Amino acid sequence: MTLAPALTDVHAIVDQVWTSFLGEVEPLLPADVAPGGPFPAGQAWSAAVSVSGGWDATVTVELSAALAVSLTTTMLGLEGPEAPDDADLADAVGELVNMVGGNLKSLMPGPSALSLPAVAAGRAAHASGATEIACFDGVWAGEPVRVTVHVVTDAPVDLLPQPIS
Amino acid sequence: MKIIVADDSRVMRQIVIRTLRQAGHGGHEIVEAENGRDCLEKVATEQPDLVLSDWNMPEMNGIDCLGALRASGSQVPFGFVTSEGSEEMRQRAAAAGALFLIAKPFTAETFGDALSEVLG
Repeated sequence: MTLAPALTDVHAIVDQVWTSFLGEVEPLLPADVAPGGPFPAGQAWSAAVSVSGGWDATVTVELSAALAVSLTTTMLGLEGPEAPDDADLADAVGELVNMVGGNLKSLMPGPSALSLPAVAAGRAAHASGATEIACFDGVWAGEPVRVTVHVVTDAPVDLLPQPIS
Repeated sequence: MKIIVADDSRVMRQIVIRTLRQAGHGGHEIVEAENGRDCLEKVATEQPDLVLSDWNMPEMNGIDCLGALRASGSQVPFGFVTSEGSEEMRQRAAAAGALFLIAKPFTAETFGDALSEVLG
């Protein structure tokens, strides 16, 4: 049996990360999105971390390029005309998935190791054998963000029974 | 006081420094380190009063950095600021000699509580 985090847990963790570093003025709202995703080709950033050990999974964050710029600007505290460069965007998006992945790891059976984030300008690609076990779609300031959890398994997937508070 | 902030993410180093200010600890000298190896070298050269370190970093991670510091005889106060706040990680951190572990995401209040005994 493969254990999956409850969607409410994924949402709660994303919400905690978002509120802590981006503030509460603009809330992160859940969104209904088509399975293909809300991201225009070539206008997205993505980052992934893998968890291996007691729980094996890949946690991915995808977001629109406009949202990547907004969150990087906010996280770095940039003001005025100063705009983040690609290195800043990669850094911020990577840190986002690091926090979401680290917190999900803490929720699941361990011990497990968390990888360093891998970041790309573009959509995330998953191995053909990977199964999506959780997906949260949200909107912040009108721009989309998606958090997914994938495992590579043929076994049935069971939800983690206890949601976090 | 002098504080080393070690994290491979420049964004996170800036957030930690900003949060230190928000927690009322803005008057300290800050030295940034990009990974555990860099932190280890800067502890030797900068003689800080506190190290705030990420756990998961390239080159040398935070727990190995702390182990190397203690093995070298350094007793510099050391706290983790990491995305991994499980009980298992907290126990590993404490066993290695860390004073505290602040889990990301954090607030200025969390920083204030953790740092009050170290920085006053």
